[in-house]
Amino acid sequence: MSRPNVGIFGLTGCAGDQLVILNCEDRFLHIIAALNIRDFAMASSDNDSACDLDLAIVEGAVLSRRDEEQLERIRARSRILVAIGTCAVWGGIAAMDGDTDRSQLVRDIYGECGEQFDTTPARALHEIVGVDLNISGCPIEEEEFLSGISNLLNGDLPIAPTTPVCAECKMREYNCLLTERVDMCLGPLTLGGCNARCPGLSIGCVGCRGPVDDANLESVTALFMENGFGREDIARKLRTFAGLRVVAHTLSEDES
Amino acid sequence: MKILKLEKGKLDLFASVVQQFGEVHAPTEHEGKFSFKRLNSWSEARLDYNRTVLPPRKYFLPPRETLFKYREATGYVPATEDLEKRVVLFGVHACDIHALNILDEVFGKGYLDPYYLTRRKNITIIGIDCTPDEHCFCRSMRADFAETGFDLFLKDIGDHYLTFVGTARGDDMVIATGPLFSEVTHSDIVEYKRRSSQKCDTFKLDLEIRDLPEIFELEYQADIWEELGEKCLSCGNCSMVCPTCYCYDVADEVKLGSHDGDRVRLWDSCLFATHALVAGGENFRKTRSSRIKFRFYHKQRGFVAEYGRPSCVGCGRCIEACPVGINIVGVINRLRGVEHASTD
Repeated sequence: MSRPNVGIFGLTGCAGDQLVILNCEDRFLHIIAALNIRDFAMASSDNDSACDLDLAIVEGAVLSRRDEEQLERIRARSRILVAIGTCAVWGGIAAMDGDTDRSQLVRDIYGECGEQFDTTPARALHEIVGVDLNISGCPIEEEEFLSGISNLLNGDLPIAPTTPVCAECKMREYNCLLTERVDMCLGPLTLGGCNARCPGLSIGCVGCRGPVDDANLESVTALFMENGFGREDIARKLRTFAGLRVVAHTLSEDES
Repeated sequence: MKILKLEKGKLDLFASVVQQFGEVHAPTEHEGKFSFKRLNSWSEARLDYNRTVLPPRKYFLPPRETLFKYREATGYVPATEDLEKRVVLFGVHACDIHALNILDEVFGKGYLDPYYLTRRKNITIIGIDCTPDEHCFCRSMRADFAETGFDLFLKDIGDHYLTFVGTARGDDMVIATGPLFSEVTHSDIVEYKRRSSQKCDTFKLDLEIRDLPEIFELEYQADIWEELGEKCLSCGNCSMVCPTCYCYDVADEVKLGSHDGDRVRLWDSCLFATHALVAGGENFRKTRSSRIKFRFYHKQRGFVAEYGRPSCVGCGRCIEACPVGINIVGVINRLRGVEHASTD
């Protein structure tokens, strides 16, 4: 199998997804053997920033014109572009307050000098360029990333998780935080693939992997209210990782 | 059928002998919920459990299993790990035994499933009596007594268990434990009959399954399906915990940097948005209402047409597991136009 040219990039984010790749540890040698990594600023100081790439792996959200230009340059030199992490896929935490006026936000945080910063409302990669594959997660799951890359190398469409966190939670026989009414668990709304890590520790799902297909936001909101949680708390919880905020927007647009 | 009795105080002794027939698994408790697990010691067993989170199905059709490995160098290699492991499931309720008998119809006839059938052969079932709670309706589903599908079945008659021997292996277990068992007396029979009729009166849920398929046919366009679609979260909890749900997905997991991989089987559910998604992007059950409706129709209508009985045993797990309180007994009684006080 020929080794494809690969670039791994970070836009605005915590770099946690690139760290997951570096943390593959014993399997990192397999990654190096399979991929010809030509451009990976976080891991190497010897990079080729101009070569054509078979595969670009991009983490982080677009939060500035600089991010946007960089993303467009990456897209132009790459055959396949993969978005990794909830920021790249949904806008992530930075996009939770997407409705507030940007210049107001900048003034609130930095005062008058804030005006000079290059900053734009947080956007996911797919809002700017074509994305061939989304691997969500905060951070991404190592297994999902490796199998996704393996599938791409074999010319297959990667098998992405499509079921909600609840399914994996039940498979492990964890106590249900919703039926026990102890927490605002976002399990039924959230894309699985994490093996229900948080509910397994009796912590309600925070929705970090983004929404599952056909998430029933209205019914879950009604359930939370029935369980004694306030509308504001529910709204805050839902918008933390942006994806559900996007779904809520779609719902309200459908209604209007 | 051979029937003997076993003193309750000698159950731990019996369990220790039974170990020679396989690894003993029984219901154990964790934060008020029960699950079948391998016992470290007999004292962990909670035979007074109401229901386990997952049914015994997990032993026969695990949430995830490797079917075979494919290697460029060696070709196809069937996965056999754990298949031959001998396990004794100690304390299975009658409804769950009925559910296994239903799965036997699906995996054991027509297209035989060697993985399921091998496990069925290697796993011993010791049934045990139970007390119905507020979610149980096995009596309505004709699954409150098991006549087949177990090696031994223990029925509580006070100080003793009446022990019904269902198979030759069950008989081997009785013989291996020798003097622990004694003959059934006339007063034991009287006590068994008294308890049996008493149990029938303790069910709090009730529904009529006679002509239910016809009612489902008539109510195909009923408003209730849309209402349920609005409420349902598509979380799949009801089918994950169902003892007779058997839908699965099959996927190839490729090893990085090679053409080698494993073919795996994973639980699926008709409630998931992608369950009926096919190549080209067409989805035959795109709406939640069509999916939850399908689940009810398959259990109560389609299965009856194919196998002569509903594929529901009234274990109550889906009622307990639904975060938004969708209750199968309430749904069916509403379809029938029967209001039942205790179904809400």
